[in-house]
Amino acid sequence: MIDIVVIGAGAGGLAAAITAKEKNKKVLLIERESTLGGILNQCIHNGFGLEVFKEEYTGPEYAHRYIEKLISLKIDYLLDTTVTKLEKLSEKFIITMTSEEEGIKKIEAKSVILTSGCYERTRGHISMPGDRPKGVFNAGSAQRYLNINGYMVGKKVFILGSGDIGLIMARRMTLEGAEVLGVAEIMSYSNGLNRNIVQCLIDFDIPLFLSHTVTNVIADENNNLKEIIIQEVDNNFNPMINTEKHFFVDTLLLSIGLIPDITLLDELSVKVDPKTKSVEVNQAYETSVRGLFVSGNSLQVHDLVDNVTKESERAGLCAVEYLNKENNEAEEIRILAGSNIGYVTPQRLDFSWNSSLIISFRTNKKMEKAICKVIQDDKVVYKKRLMFLVPAEMETISFDYQILNRTSDIKVVLEELS
Amino acid sequence: MFDYIIIGAGIIGSMVARELSKYECKVLVVEKENDVANVQTLANSAIIHAAYNPEPGSLKAILNIKGNYMYDQLEKELDIPILRCGAYVVAYNEIEENELDRLADIAAQNGVPEFSVLSYSEAFKKEPNLSSNVTKVLSLPTTKVTYPWEVAFAAMENAIKNGVNLKLNYQVTGIKKTNDYFEVEINNQDIINSKYLINAAGVSSDDIAKLIEKQPKFLIKGRKGEYFVIDRRYGDFVNHVIYPLPTEAGKGVLVTPQVHGEVLLGPNSIWVDDKNHPTTTFEGLKYVKDHSKTLINNIPYDRIIRSFAGVRASSNHEDFYIKESEEVKGLYHLGGIESPGLSAAPAIAEYLVNEIMQVNNKYELNKSYNPIRKKPIPYYDLDENKQKELYAANNLYGRIICKCERITEKEIIDAIHGTLGSSTIKGIKKRTRAGAGLCQGGYCEEKVMKIIARELNVSPLEVAYDKKESKLFTSETKVVKK
Ligand SMILES: Cc1cc2nc3c(=O)[nH]c(=O)nc-3n(C[C@H](O)[C@H](O)[C@H](O)COP(=O)(O)OP(=O)(O)OC[C@H]3O[C@@H](n4cnc5c(N)ncnc54)[C@H](O)[C@@H]3O)c2cc1C
Repeated sequence: MIDIVVIGAGAGGLAAAITAKEKNKKVLLIERESTLGGILNQCIHNGFGLEVFKEEYTGPEYAHRYIEKLISLKIDYLLDTTVTKLEKLSEKFIITMTSEEEGIKKIEAKSVILTSGCYERTRGHISMPGDRPKGVFNAGSAQRYLNINGYMVGKKVFILGSGDIGLIMARRMTLEGAEVLGVAEIMSYSNGLNRNIVQCLIDFDIPLFLSHTVTNVIADENNNLKEIIIQEVDNNFNPMINTEKHFFVDTLLLSIGLIPDITLLDELSVKVDPKTKSVEVNQAYETSVRGLFVSGNSLQVHDLVDNVTKESERAGLCAVEYLNKENNEAEEIRILAGSNIGYVTPQRLDFSWNSSLIISFRTNKKMEKAICKVIQDDKVVYKKRLMFLVPAEMETISFDYQILNRTSDIKVVLEELS
Repeated sequence: MFDYIIIGAGIIGSMVARELSKYECKVLVVEKENDVANVQTLANSAIIHAAYNPEPGSLKAILNIKGNYMYDQLEKELDIPILRCGAYVVAYNEIEENELDRLADIAAQNGVPEFSVLSYSEAFKKEPNLSSNVTKVLSLPTTKVTYPWEVAFAAMENAIKNGVNLKLNYQVTGIKKTNDYFEVEINNQDIINSKYLINAAGVSSDDIAKLIEKQPKFLIKGRKGEYFVIDRRYGDFVNHVIYPLPTEAGKGVLVTPQVHGEVLLGPNSIWVDDKNHPTTTFEGLKYVKDHSKTLINNIPYDRIIRSFAGVRASSNHEDFYIKESEEVKGLYHLGGIESPGLSAAPAIAEYLVNEIMQVNNKYELNKSYNPIRKKPIPYYDLDENKQKELYAANNLYGRIICKCERITEKEIIDAIHGTLGSSTIKGIKKRTRAGAGLCQGGYCEEKVMKIIARELNVSPLEVAYDKKESKLFTSETKVVKK
């Protein structure tokens, strides 16, 4: 039987598989594409690796560092293989997969780490009104067509959503000779990293329309996109009259958010957190199903790949700890999101684990200065000053949880400082 | 010379084609779109109604009842999916309860085989999310749901197998009649001749009439309906079709389970000037959201994956307009086929062919007529042994292309090369559901594009999303490729 099956060979899966293998566990990494590296393969811009390697890489270069290591460690992996079902029978997992080469196959494992990444929200998810022409693409799909397949989806482009993929694509399409007429963002602040706003929009004179959204999509007689209309929105995100702006474009790219892809867990009835739209985990990245771990973008959408790597390395180590763990009785308290916090992971702290506690969270409000407090039984047990908080950037805190009592839940709050 | 030309390959044109294929006559179906079932039949609620509200004695009532019954037979012959979920029509107060009793009366007069009036608590047992404002319910167990374009495909494929010809991208642009036959002009150029002409052009049926009649007897007024689709993985909050009481504007905003597990919310009802251009609006979608809420609690609005609109072919007549033209002999109109058009479709075809056109008096029976059509193989619905068998015969069953709906490469290839093959992204989605799931093609569109290009032996630059002018890509990148 395999010790640890890792599903998905992007940045998260590579890191988890490597750390587990370094502890001499029998690991199998499964990937549905024909290459390792996941989404990094289509991210040919740089900006990867500053935290982990103190060096700036492109996406494929960053992936390459881990792929080399994977190969030198002789980790088993399968390509072009899609896992279709995950079941747990008493203490072991049964993984059903399929491939052109071997058809349906089942294997057993003691533990599973899911690092299946995320998918892009589409116009359907935000109920964008209008026609349904060709020319409305997810930014990530257009990026794949451009960087992997070598095709341009259009020549006159508008972008909805100021998420990082959208910003990167604004620059990329411009460099390929397309005209990018603007980026609209429904929030009053951008959702991308600041460096991307500067390097991808400002440097190319591409206007950013904050508090605006697309309110109509118009097709020509061949069902190609010919025009979009954007409008300013009020505080309830309702479009305001007389604020219409028309753009005559053949392409609308959507960069309106990513959602963790945990559809593989459908049959396992795992506890889900509506805030992250992923599963609930404890500090060991273990879900409510014992021995099942989730990390990387399938746990929470990260802004930096470096954090995916670090989180998944920890998940890999925790899966190793699970294999040796004798006490499987959880001794848990909950970690709650308090004021000004969009979400927290992990959602639970389990004292039966040795693994350290790193809490990730996002503010739901832009703040210059704030103090982050962790509260148990009305007492502040930990605090940290933070600067320049924006929802687009994930924050982390860490402290020794042995100072906590084992009965009361803890709450993370942010207090704005003036 | 054809005996019959059918204009329009929606559900009506397809069913009529199949009905005619039972006889020894030469039939051609011409369709302006690049696919069967691309207009009304693509954007509707998919319900086979029980006939609880059409005026007793009307064609709508008679043909709906009969059509509902005929779908049970079609399920076996054409291998089409049917969900027997039943429906609840809900009342909120005493006045509405009286109206509900009146509907029960209509149902009785129309001959709906089964129905009953339930108290809220009785209904609640079967429909736990039913709004607690509901006081009484008309239960209609014979209401079912189908997959409309699959039904049209099935009927058309079967008609083709039995000898019917189909031409896509053939728009009728002119009609003349000499003494004994029609000259039908296609795309402003070619002329095709036929003895009889059947107008099944849906929202455009009055435009067809205008091509040859001086004073058409019916006029189509487009009535738009907008919808949301909820991810099938969260569709179990409702068990029945839930209708409010019908009003002049139609059956109202409904909550409708679909055959593959999704739930539709909608439609609204808005008169539109441009009947050829269904489009959703901010206000329309908001209306649907606000009204669906009143029927059922706990609708997972955050699991909406898509919205769309369709335009109903409503006419200036209350009833369907199914008649021979008063001006031009041999021209048959299927006008005003709005709801319950889908429900009535097989009965409409039979009524037109046998009673109005009396084809049985004109042509011999087609002795080699075979009513059976087999559906494409839905690999992931099969049990594992069957899957292994299929894989052993063709290993492309092993490769998943659409991860959300679990559609394999073999199914995509079959959809490209089938009797009604398609080579567009949208056509493949209609046939296989690749791209119909949670990520709406974000993952599989690229893979489908590559398979189409490979199977047709063309460059990806030639692959279209929908119409042939709607190519996915505009150019290659500047990058020099190996
Ligand atoms: C919003 C909505 C909800 C509905 N819900 C239901 C329901 O739940 N249950 C139910 O029973 N019914 C329902 N209906 C009604 C049902 O969908 C229609 O009655 C049915 O689909 C009509 O089929 P059709 O073939 O007449 O029309 P269509 O499917 O529109 O087909 C007409 C065809 O004619 C072609 N055509 C037009 N002009 C030309 C030309 N010049 N040359 C060649 N081809 C031409 C068109 O391209 C089209 O393909 C609904 C309709 C709508 C719009």
